Formats: sequence, structure tokens, C-alpha cells
Amino acid sequence: MNQAHAAAATRSVTMVRTVIIVATLAAWEALALSGLLFRDVVPSLQAICSAVFRLLTAADFYFNLGVTAAEIGVALIIGGAGGLAVGILLGANRFLSRAYESLVYYLGPTPKIIFFPVMIMWFGVGSGSKIAMGAISCFFPIAISAASGIRQIDRVLIRVGLSFRASTWQMATKIYLPAMRGPLVNGMRLGLGVAIIGTLLAQTKLSNRGLGYLIIQAYSTFDMPRMYALIIVLFMLAVAANALIGRLARSRNS
Amino acid sequence: MLEVNRISKRFTTSDGVIPAVDDISFAIAAGEFVSIIGPSGCGKSTLFNIIGGLVGDYEGQVKVSGDIIHGTHPAIGMVFQEESTFPWRTVLDNVAFPLEISGLATSERLERAQHFVSMVGLEGFERRYPAELSGGMRQRVALARTLASEPRILLMDEPFAALDEQTRLLLGDRVLQIQQQLRQTTLLITHNLTEAVQLSDRVLVMTYRPGKLKREIDIDLPHPRDSEVVSSDAFGRYVAEIWHDLREEASRGIRDDENRVLRARSDR
Ligand SMILES: Nc1ncnc2c1ncn2[C@@H]1O[C@H](COP(=O)(O)OP(=O)(O)O)[C@@H](O)[C@H]1O
Ligand SMILES: [Mg+2]
Repeated sequence: MNQAHAAAATRSVTMVRTVIIVATLAAWEALALSGLLFRDVVPSLQAICSAVFRLLTAADFYFNLGVTAAEIGVALIIGGAGGLAVGILLGANRFLSRAYESLVYYLGPTPKIIFFPVMIMWFGVGSGSKIAMGAISCFFPIAISAASGIRQIDRVLIRVGLSFRASTWQMATKIYLPAMRGPLVNGMRLGLGVAIIGTLLAQTKLSNRGLGYLIIQAYSTFDMPRMYALIIVLFMLAVAANALIGRLARSRNS
Repeated sequence: MLEVNRISKRFTTSDGVIPAVDDISFAIAAGEFVSIIGPSGCGKSTLFNIIGGLVGDYEGQVKVSGDIIHGTHPAIGMVFQEESTFPWRTVLDNVAFPLEISGLATSERLERAQHFVSMVGLEGFERRYPAELSGGMRQRVALARTLASEPRILLMDEPFAALDEQTRLLLGDRVLQIQQQLRQTTLLITHNLTEAVQLSDRVLVMTYRPGKLKREIDIDLPHPRDSEVVSSDAFGRYVAEIWHDLREEASRGIRDDENRVLRARSDR
């Protein structure tokens, strides 16, 4: 009975989703055909689909995807390591936390793009400044999650480790990190999101490669189908990356 | 084997200075099972942590086999009052933890861990996570984990405090069997009269603020014992005798709590 109920609920959710997607696509197509808007601003679905196909079969897309992925990856590593270190210090040391934690909290949500000119001066117009933007962006959510993660560790688990005479390294890898895993994965997820934003935004501002650059290039040459194709592909990739981290968080051993 | 020599520890709090442990001395012979009993808040856990080397800055000395120790010591194993299993490890991996710390190879480690899992009666639960077990089972995992480090001296801080009476009696049997088997020197901290008399060769009664030793009672009940012993006359006499000493301390503790609540209320 209950199971039948659940199955029915799942079916109606799928139904609603399908209806909304189909309706949106139909409205889009109608708008495109009506010619109400400026020519080409709303290209037809067919034009977008073939643009997606052309995009995915061209080598330059993969080159630029690689550039963006590498920049985001390096940004996550640098910003993540920095955020983790600072977060652990803030979480473990009451004095440092009183001195700096509010600063981290207030800086966290401010738009990091205002630092972009500085980053260009420091790290040049190439990948360096893009990585810096991504790293600054993901530093904050990861630092904040690590600080709260370390504070929510059950103190007795630390005493267990000490009573078995674990070394500092063993304490860190066998107790602190696994005990902080939930908040850390969450921080990584938020961090990934803002690292993508930071890096792409920087690429759209000043760059000659990367997906952000491709989008802005498509825009400035008024190639709307290509621009939409890029946006759609990028959106899918971001969703996939998030889902991957989400799966990491939910997997057993948590 | 274990010697505690004139240990004192004070805590300074906003309420003033609390003499948590005040000039406590005792010695436990090899293979002996000793309990310390006292009302809650009398300083039992503080003493436990001092002996285990997790609390510093105290007066007096802790000696193992005649040597003064500072900090943690490999001969001492601790079982904590709080829920202390690692929720991200299976039962077997929890128990293998100390062996992992000492760098034992995986296969040998798991084999040894398995031995201690069986010893506490948890065969069949090796692959379970703590969240899937009952409180009593989790405490057994914690006990097995400490046993796996093969300490010569076993310290336990109210390990069964959170369990119901039946589970507590049966686990007590299990602990006694293991102690007979391994001949471990054991110090059990408890606030439970039955538990203290059921398990111990000797019971030390602690006072409430300052935390001093008030009395020492030898428990002359035959070995091997099991939980059936609780219905014997001699058992009842020991419990009554210890309660006589403990009663005054416990009521002082309760009065203190009440006063604190009243004071907090009048402050508002
Ligand atoms: N870290 C601490 N700081 C201040 N006071 C403490 C601390 N640890 C324990 N105390 C106080 O010392 C007294 C003894 O505590 P504890 O050893 O935990 O007692 P028990 O284990 O017998 O219940 C209590 O009044 C407690 O409030
Ligand atoms: Mg206690």
C-alpha cells in the first residue's frame, strides 16, 4: 500500500517535471517563431540543438573546457588547502577565532570580482589571475565549514585518540578529518560552486581562452545559438560536478 | 602495579575554585579489580583522566610499576564514560584502531581485532556501524577496542552508566570473565553500588567536594562470581555498608545542586 503510494508520488513528480519542461520548450519555440523579439535573440530549438552538436564536435571546445577545468581544479586545490588550514586554525584556537572569524564571515559573501584588477596586476592576464579569482572565491566557504566542522567534533573521540597515543599526523588523518567529513564535503560543494563562478567571471572579463571567453566571444559576434549551446553545456557540467561531490558526501563511511 | 600518590587537582571557575580531587592516594596490585565509587560531580572522571594522562597540571604522582609517569602510558588503557566509538568505522575497524595506531599489518590487525570482538560477544556484528547497534553493544565495542591495545592496566569510567540495569549486570559478568582471563589490573569508576560490589575485590568510597577518599572496603565474595551474587546475603550487607558511607556524600551533592539552582534563580 505504502509502496504503491510512493510509486504513484514518484510518477506524478516525473509527470509534473515533464509537463513543465515541455511547456517551457514550447513557449521558447513559439517565441522564437513569432519574431516578436529582436531577430536571433531567441533562436529556434533546432538552431540551438545543431549549435550544441557543432560545439561538441569541435576540438577548440575541448581545449577551452580543459583550460577552464584545469583553472578551476587548481583554484580548488589552492583555495581549498588555504581554507582548510585557516578554518582549522580558527576552529581550534579561540583567540584567533575571536580576532578573525567575523572578518571571514563578512568577507565571505562579498563579490570577489572587485579583486580582479588586483589579481591581474599580481598574476598577469593569463591563467594566474583566473586561478586566483577561483581560489579566493572558494577559500571562504571552505574556511567557514572547516572551522565549524572542527568545533562540532565530539571531544571524547579526540581523547580516545590521545589515550591510544596517536601521533599528530594520525590524529589529523584518522580522527579529525573523518570526524569533519560532513561539513568539509559541504564546504567543498559550496566552494566548487563559487570557484566556477569566480573563474568563469574572470574569463569573461579579460581572457583569450576558457569557456567564459567562448561565451563572451559568441555574444560579441552575435552568434546566439552558439552562446546558448555553451550555456547549456556549461550548466550540465556544473550540475554533474555538484552531483559527484554530493554522491561523495552520501557514500557509506560517513 | 598502579600507584596514585597524593594527587590533588583544583579547577578555577567563575563559581570559584573547585577542589575536584583532594590528596588521594591508593595502590592497586597486579591483577586486582578495584572500584572507586562516589556521587556524581565528586571528581571521579578528573581522577580517571589524571591517571590516564589526559589531564595535566595536578599535584602528586601517578606510578606504573614503581616509575612516575607523565602523560599517557602504553600500559594504561581507558574506556570512557561517554559514547566513544568512531561512527565512521565498522565494529571491526573500531576495535582495530589501536593496532592501526601502533602500525600492525592489516591482516594481523584484523585477526587480532576479531579475537577481541568475539571476546565481548559481538561476533556477527563486525561489519556493522555503531549507529546500527544498541548502547550496550556500542559500549562493548569501546571495551573491545581498549582491550585490543592489550593494556596491563584497564581504567574504566562509568562504562555502563547509560545502560539499563539488566544489561549492566550481564555486561558486568562479561567484564569479570574477561578480567579473570586476561588477569588485567583494573580500576573501575562508578556511581553504582551493585556494580561496585559485583565486580570488585576492593571498593574505595570518595567524598564530595573536596574529592577525598573516605573509606576502603574489601569485598570478600567468592570467585568466580557472576551476577547471581547480587541475591546473596553477604552482597546485601556490602551494599548496605557502602551506602551508609555514600549516603551522606550523595545528599551533600544533591544539596549543592539545589543551592546552585536557587542561586541562579535569585540572580535573575
Ligand atoms: N575542565 C573543568 N573545568 C572546570 N571544572 C571542572 C572541569 N572538569 C570537571 N570540573 C568540575 O570538577 C568536579 C568534578 O568533576 P568530575 O571529575 O567530572 O566528576 P564525576 O566524574 O565524579 O562526576 C565537578 O564539579 C565539575 O564541575
Ligand atoms: Mg564522571
